[in-house]
Formats: sequence, C-alpha cells, structure tokens
Amino acid sequence: MQELGFFTILFSAVFTNNILLTNYLGMCSFLAVSREVKASLGLGTAVFFVTAATTALNWAVYYHILVPLNLVYLRFIVFIVVIAAFVQLVEMIIERVSEALYQALGIFLPLITVNCAILGACLFMVIRDYSFGQACAYGAGAGLGWALAILAMAGIRQRLAQRSRIPRGLEGPGIALIIAGTMALAFMGFNGMVSLN
Amino acid sequence: MKQSARDDAIQNQMRPGHLTRDGMLGADRRKLRDIIEADDAAVRRLGLSHAAIAARMRELRDAGARGLGQAIRVLGHFDVRVDSVRGKLPCPFLHPGLFQKEFIEVRNELSGEQIMFTELNIHLIQEHGFYEGLESPFRQDPATLARVLEVPLDTV
Amino acid sequence: MMELLIAVGVMCAINTVLALLLVIADATIANYGECGVTVNDKKKLMVPGGRSLLSVLRDNQIFIPSACGGRGSCGLCKVTVLEGAGATLPTETPWLTPEEQKGNVRLSCQVKVKRDLRIQIPEELFSVRQYRTRVVSMSDLTHDIKEVKLQLVDPPAIDFKAGQFIQIEVPPYALTDEPVYRAYSIASAPSETGEIELEIRYVPNGICTTYVHRHLKVGDAVTINGPYGTFCLQPTGREMICIAGGSGMAPIKSLLLEMERARDPRPCRYFFGARARRDLFVTERMRDLEQSLPNFRFIPALSAPAPEDRWEGETGLITEVVGRHVADASEAEAYLCGSPLMIDACIRVLREKGMPESNIFFDKFG
Repeated sequence: MQELGFFTILFSAVFTNNILLTNYLGMCSFLAVSREVKASLGLGTAVFFVTAATTALNWAVYYHILVPLNLVYLRFIVFIVVIAAFVQLVEMIIERVSEALYQALGIFLPLITVNCAILGACLFMVIRDYSFGQACAYGAGAGLGWALAILAMAGIRQRLAQRSRIPRGLEGPGIALIIAGTMALAFMGFNGMVSLN
Repeated sequence: MKQSARDDAIQNQMRPGHLTRDGMLGADRRKLRDIIEADDAAVRRLGLSHAAIAARMRELRDAGARGLGQAIRVLGHFDVRVDSVRGKLPCPFLHPGLFQKEFIEVRNELSGEQIMFTELNIHLIQEHGFYEGLESPFRQDPATLARVLEVPLDTV
Repeated sequence: MMELLIAVGVMCAINTVLALLLVIADATIANYGECGVTVNDKKKLMVPGGRSLLSVLRDNQIFIPSACGGRGSCGLCKVTVLEGAGATLPTETPWLTPEEQKGNVRLSCQVKVKRDLRIQIPEELFSVRQYRTRVVSMSDLTHDIKEVKLQLVDPPAIDFKAGQFIQIEVPPYALTDEPVYRAYSIASAPSETGEIELEIRYVPNGICTTYVHRHLKVGDAVTINGPYGTFCLQPTGREMICIAGGSGMAPIKSLLLEMERARDPRPCRYFFGARARRDLFVTERMRDLEQSLPNFRFIPALSAPAPEDRWEGETGLITEVVGRHVADASEAEAYLCGSPLMIDACIRVLREKGMPESNIFFDKFG
C-alpha cells in the first residue's frame, strides 16, 4: 500500500480514476438527470456530500466496529444502511432549502441511496486499505469526480439539444452513452499521471 | 421499453379520473412512447403527417364553428357540429395552456361514417403526435381519420 | 453463539443510532413550526408549516377556486404572494404568463408554507364558503340535461347574487381515485337561500357529469363551495337582451327570478337557442314569467326543428334570430351565457346593432 498524500488521492479520484468515467459506477442517474445543467448541479452536489460524508463515516464504522468485533462480513449491509440514512437527511435538507430543486430531482434524489458509485467508493476505500485522512480525500474526490462528470455531460447535452439534429434512433440514451464514452476516452488521457492501484 | 421520468409523469396525467373520466389511454397498457411510435409508423405508412391530419381536422372544425353548436353542411359533403361545455382542460404533456372542452362531430355524408373529436385532440395530434390509447373514448385512429375526413396527401 | 449475538447486536445498534439521527432531523429540519399568513393586509392566520398554501387557506375557510383539488393540473388557484415564497416551481410556470410571474402570482396549491407569507387574493373570495348539502330532487329537463336541487345542510343558507356559480366536489367513484371540482351556475333565485338548483348537462367522458347522471341519487350528500363569479344583474334599468341556450340557461333563469321577485319593470327579451323541440325546457316557467314580468318576452329559436315538432316559432341560428328582432341596441345591455363561439358571434351581432362592448356582460364557460 503506497503512501499517497491527501491531494494526490483527491486529484486522482477526480481525474485519473474518475469513479464514473473510469470505473463506470453510478451510470443510471448520470444518464437520466444529465439533460439539464441546473438539475445536474443539484444532484452532483448532493452526491458529493453523501459520498464524502459516508466514506469517512463508514471508515470509522469499519475499522472501529466491524473489524475489532470480527464482523467484516456485515460490511455491505452496514455501508448501505449508513448511506441510506444520509440520503434521507440530504433529502430533508434539500426540501427545506430549495423546493424547486427538490421537485426537479424528483425520484432521483432518493435513488442516490442505490447509486453504486457511493457504495463503490466505500468498498474501494476498504480494498485499498486507506487511512482516515486518505479515506476522506478519496470520498471527497470520488464525489467531486462524479459531480464533474455529470456537469460536463449536462453541458454537452444541453448544447447538443440546442444546435444539433440527432438521428431519431440515437435520441436519449443512445447519444448519452456515446458522449459518455467519448468523455471516458478523453479522461484516459490523464492515465499515468497518478495511479491509485 | 423504459421511458423517462417525464414521460411517466405525462402518462400519469392521462390516467382515468384525473383529467377526464376514462383518461386518455383506456385499457392500453403500453408505455406512452410505444403508443406514440406505433401511431407515428401508422401515419407514415398512410403517406401522411401529423400536421396534415391536424390541419384537416382544424379546417373542418373552423368551418363547422359557424353553426354555433348546431350541425351545418360544410366543404361539400360533411355535416359538422361544433359545441362546447363549461371548463377547460390542460394538455397532459405538462406545458402551458388550457384547452376549451370543445367537441366536434363530423359526419361524412358520402360514406355515412361519423367520428367525434375534441379541440384538445387536434392539439395532441399536431404538437405531440398523440392519438390517445386504444379503447380510450376519444381514441383517434389515424387510418379512420384519414378515410372519414378525407385528409389530402402531402404535396411535398 | 456469541458471534451471532454480537453481529445482531451491532446491526441493531447501528440502525438505532441512525434512526435516532433521522428522527431528530425530521423534528428540526423538516419541521417548519408555525407560520403567519397575512391575507390582503387585514387578516392574519397562524398555520402549521409544511403544507400547501391552498390547503391552509381552506382550513381557515378561505376557498381559492380549484378544479383539480390542489394537484397542479387546472391553474385556477392563482394567488399573489408578496413576501415569503421561494422560487417559482417548474410545476407552476406552465400556468403563469410572464407578466404574472413578474407580478409574484403563484399557484397556491404548489406553494409550501415554510415561513411567514404576505398574500393578496380577490376580495370576493372572502365570502366563499364550503357547504354540505343533500340532494332533494333530480329530474330530466331534456335527454341530456338533468336538474338537480340541493338542500343546504351546513351552513343552512347560502348568500349569492343571481348569475353566480358554485363548485361541486366529485368524490372518487368507479375508475377515479381522487376528488375533482367542477363549476355549475345556480339556476334558482337568490331569495331561496336554503336550497339551490343546478342544471347539469351530460358531457362525454366528463368526470362530474357522469357522476351526476349515472351515480348520484336523491338523498346523497354533496359538498359544494362558492359562490363565485362576477356575472350578475347590473342595476342600470336599461333594456335587457339575454341570449343563452342549453345549460347556459341556468344563470339567466336566476337573473329572471330575481327580477320577478323585485317586480322589475325593465324591458327584457330572452333568446333561447336550441336545435329541435326536444332540446327546449323550462318553457312553462318562462311563459309564467311573461305574465308576472310585464315587459319580459321569451323567444325560443330552433335551428333544425324536426318535422314532428310542428314548430311555428322562430327558426334559424340564434344570431340570425337576434338580428331580426333587435333593431337598435345602443341603449340596451346584453347578458350572454354559453360557449365562447356563441358569445363571440352574438357580440358581433350586438355591436352591429350599436351596442357598446362595455354594455355586454357574459359568462364565457371558462
């Protein structure tokens, strides 16, 4: 296990090992919500907050409760429960602060619970044996990377919708996946700068 | 086939008892997108377009409007009655605008066939290519519309 | 065994801690406490936060018109919110013109009360109430119009002006799963405060008319609210020209009954347009009114009388009949009720006869 610094991990989680564009986690709400920049900004922020907070919290739960008590096999269900509770909290906060965003996100806000990127981030944190500081950096970076990817996608899709005539067969998920693939190719250009594995 | 959340919300607007008594889909269990695509294919097979069908419906409606709720003979061999009742309906496609509850009965005297449609139907066909679900009370079958209203082929 | 207990215990502990966290959050973040709603700067209501503006106003006996019961699908519940509302929601923008949005007009069913609000509503809404009523009689006026008489139970009397309308609440029935509201003009006289009469015409695929024509029975309870509307008798003493057919008769009948009670000597002609004799109704009452109101004439006109009708009265479209009977309308005023098509056509005819548009009053079925 290399000794990677806080900012190295943060940087690579956003760019070189982007959880969405490199690991293909968290695609469903990414494809559905990325039609609109405003909704994507809201969802990206929510996912960032949940990922950062739960990765850190799950680190504490894993290393201070599950490992000492030999309950490592419970990690999937415990991580999911923690993520679910946090998403519920975020939903309450968003409903209070901005009713418009709450309605714009609709069902996709509670669906953050089963966003595999978040569970994925927690599990990567365990697999890669991070310290607490590294876990915080990774969680924040993964969330930030996901948010960046969905924002970029929304910007591209909004522009395309205004200017281009997309063939009927490719409308919707078709063109979205092609754009996502192109973005992933672009992000591959960051390869080799830093590696987390 | 899965459809977006927005399409689900629109389909929800069409359920019975929400905007109209039997809704706009009837017993049709298909997703909204599938219904629209099937009718789109049917219209193209007829060699027509949604705009052409809607334009013919509007032409008959405008001609029949002079009857002020009574049937009058227009455009040669059509008996048209245009009447309306109190209240307005929104379009289920979740965009601005309310539509008068206006009913247009058209009887083709040559063929003897009669159909009824509403002002909302004209809008749904023109703007959304939506002919309502099978067994909806106001289902407008494209082939029937084309035949009874004698929609002219596109001259493009 | 020990491991089993520890595993279960730890899961329970984690779940309990998280659940507690959420309970606390729900009580604080999601709890809006009590909010003050100031209406027209003269009435202040203290309401529990978190619900829609439409429902808290209704709880306080202020009824904003709504046809869909608060689901955002009719656009009728508009209210001006001067202070305290958040940004306009995407569910509202389809119903608001750009001027309305600039003027802080909102849909009250979509605005959630989260903090103190200052709002503005039309003054006449202060006199709108909800009434529980009971059906005392139902009869067929024509093949598709039913007359329904409702006795007011609670409150036992309604105060309305001739020409106004009420909204019926249609409960869920058959395939519907939510209540719906539909408006009908009151056909009885305002002096009859304990009972009102409605004329309801069957509309294909109509939610309320199907309920009334197929399901409603004498003795059933019906909830209504009202009265609404600005269509009413103008106390000018000018000659009156009334034009209405079908269920448009209801408010005109109410106006005429009010005139009968006041023995109003104003000259008045009522042009009733229909297709054939089977579409005529209430004709005997109209003949009675011709006796009790010395200057009232009832003029029915059929556009397509059936041969067996043996009709000897006026024939043709109602606009033609009005054109034949009215020479100079510059000193008269008109009361029209019906479809927008009919009203627009009648307005054209009346203006040709010299009537200024400010003297034309109508209830445009809108």
